[in-house]
Amino acid sequence: MPDQNEDIRIGVFICHCGSNIAGYLDMEALEEFAKKLPHVTFVQRNLYTCSEGGINEIKKGIQEQDLNRVVVASCTPRTHEPLFRSSCGEVGLNPYLFEMVNIRDQCSWVHMKDTEQGTAKAKDLIRMGVAKAALLEPQEPIISEVTTRALVIGGGIAGMTAALAIARRGYEVVLVEREASLGGMLNALNQVGPTMMEASDLVQEKVKAISEHSRITVFTQAQVTEVQGFIGKYHADIETESGVKKIDVGVVIVATGGRALVPEGLYGYDGKRVVNQLELESLLKGGLRPDVQNVVMIQCVGSRNKERPYCSRICCQTAVKNAMLVREQNPEARVCILYRDMQMYGVENEEMFRDSKKKGVRYINYTPEEPPRVEDGKVQVYHALLGRHMDLPADLVVLSTPLVSHEDAETTSQLLRVPIDENGFFLEGHVKLKPLDFATDGVFLCGSARFPSNIREAVAQGLGAASRASIPLSKGSVEVEPIISVLADEDACRGCGLCVALCPYGALEIQQTEKGRKVHVIDVACKGCGVCAATCYQHALSINSFTDQQIGAQVDAFLAG
Amino acid sequence: MCTGRVDPAMVAGAFKKGLDGLMVVGCYFGDCHYITGNVQAKAKMDITRRLLKHVGLNQDRLAFRQCSSGEAAVFVNLVSEFDQRIREIGPIGGGGDPVEAPDIFRKMETAEAVLAGEKIRWVIGKRTPFLESGNMYGEVFTQHEFNRAIDMIIVEETEVQEILRELREGARSVKGLAQALTIPSERVFKYITALKRKGMIKLDKVSDRTPYFQIIPQEG
Repeated sequence: MPDQNEDIRIGVFICHCGSNIAGYLDMEALEEFAKKLPHVTFVQRNLYTCSEGGINEIKKGIQEQDLNRVVVASCTPRTHEPLFRSSCGEVGLNPYLFEMVNIRDQCSWVHMKDTEQGTAKAKDLIRMGVAKAALLEPQEPIISEVTTRALVIGGGIAGMTAALAIARRGYEVVLVEREASLGGMLNALNQVGPTMMEASDLVQEKVKAISEHSRITVFTQAQVTEVQGFIGKYHADIETESGVKKIDVGVVIVATGGRALVPEGLYGYDGKRVVNQLELESLLKGGLRPDVQNVVMIQCVGSRNKERPYCSRICCQTAVKNAMLVREQNPEARVCILYRDMQMYGVENEEMFRDSKKKGVRYINYTPEEPPRVEDGKVQVYHALLGRHMDLPADLVVLSTPLVSHEDAETTSQLLRVPIDENGFFLEGHVKLKPLDFATDGVFLCGSARFPSNIREAVAQGLGAASRASIPLSKGSVEVEPIISVLADEDACRGCGLCVALCPYGALEIQQTEKGRKVHVIDVACKGCGVCAATCYQHALSINSFTDQQIGAQVDAFLAG
Repeated sequence: MCTGRVDPAMVAGAFKKGLDGLMVVGCYFGDCHYITGNVQAKAKMDITRRLLKHVGLNQDRLAFRQCSSGEAAVFVNLVSEFDQRIREIGPIGGGGDPVEAPDIFRKMETAEAVLAGEKIRWVIGKRTPFLESGNMYGEVFTQHEFNRAIDMIIVEETEVQEILRELREGARSVKGLAQALTIPSERVFKYITALKRKGMIKLDKVSDRTPYFQIIPQEG
């Protein structure tokens, strides 16, 4: 609770935002209104509160008017709260004694045509902000040390790239691979497009670099079985052939990859005359039999349907690449690709697509309503442009199946408490803003564990995830917003654990204390969502800067209007 | 901060003070910035709405809606629709609710006490495990079974809070409480016994062979 004897002196700065706010609201009325609010001792209007001049006015107000709470009524806290907070901090006012009211986005912009109503709403918001500000309490930033070691789960191309990048920056890396050797799906591939590099060369190059690197520890035929902790301080158990290893790491990268769908029961798949692209890769690796003269590839097998609505993106380029390789090995072979839509994103892929046509690969469009039929030695397809059925002779039928999520994805997601989507792929924190981060701090993702990706993308994502993960490693510590859950009333807590079960971040734990079982907030792991405080039946938990009293004061202030 | 922070007791408290409508707008499921906060929020608001309806509030006054931060048009529609609906119902207790003012505010105070209380909060908090992984005996409840249990708790807890509110005004007999609150006297007797065992009330006096009970002031 705030100090009852403290003399609360609130300064309200109302921003014109040029004409963004002042052009639509009655600014004088707002100023007069704010002056009459409880505890408000200073009110000032600024042309731009965020300009250097405006910031100086806030600082001057704190120093000369002895303000101990600051309210800025302006734009959105998403962009400007950090600036105003730090300005308060620069002149010695705790940054968390600052409250922001958004009268631009929520008033002048949405009520442009109604000055009276817009102004009335701005008054409501300012009254609520001031009511909350009076109850604000100072907070200290939370700083926690980071163990400068990374755990990379998955030794495919994405994981190996990430591990190398982090190790080369000077940090230790533990790389865990469930198979006997590193390389992942790359081990099963022949040549990779569009450069047609030998996949085995790429694997060998990476494996060599990793084995020569003193800071990378590799565990093969190993699995992560337990992960506890939070950003900077994760403790993991790794089950290896020689027993369980316990390691401490600061960050975790998920690079567990995907797997090619085996199309059991589709188009007469038998793994011999009807194979998938992955199996074709190994046929090509060993050299095609010369009598394979007619090859038909069918795209979108087992994907873009009800069961798997997504497009796996990489099967088209794989098919085009392999079609050309077939014709390289058996130059007389007829290769025909039956497709729904060709997904050849990127300049090189487009180029490869055109090139394949020049080199005689044939393309026939089919629709899901009339899919091709695989019969003995031939494939029947309805050619939409010619408007008739065609029989294509086929010594080998290749089904382009999507990459699907790995069987372990769900276990891994539970282990790390990170989400997977409806297709079983790991779900990033934000598709555009945090594509390689999870919502949980300190855990990152890359490669086909996230979504089907080709080698180039997996490498780029591996580097990207390594770069993201290196930020806390290089800082050596993490600073966390102190707007988090706190055990405000320790005596009330019965240690029942109701909140522990509901916390989406694993930020709560029950500890044995002198007063018995009590909940403990792991402050660096807490995101301050507030679910625990809204649930606790003893009202023992509270959220900094969003206490029951502060929210209650805002509600009261709203209803007082 | 997440919609999961919205405390059910706070909601009833706001209606008690004269709020006409409350819409909680969260992210879509699976798209929550706080992973599952919106799921908790919806569950809390659903149960809160059941209780508020039970005590006499028009249930349309409390809404839980979803939209993403990129969907301005959807948000505007949600707000406009809700605004229109609340205007149709009118001010709280003004004829648009089964219970009218000023009784509605007393009912909201009771609801606030129920929602701040141990029993209902415990069950709200246990909802996810009850529906998904089961209770300590491994019994998984259906939504229907859970709602039935919640409805029973709502009835009981409301009656208990009304009894406590009466007793705060002075000592009462079981019969007197039953008449004042129109609760069958055997149920009042059951609550009185339970409250006595919990140390929340005690015998005040026996007058004309009828026992009267009074509240024991609680600390804090």
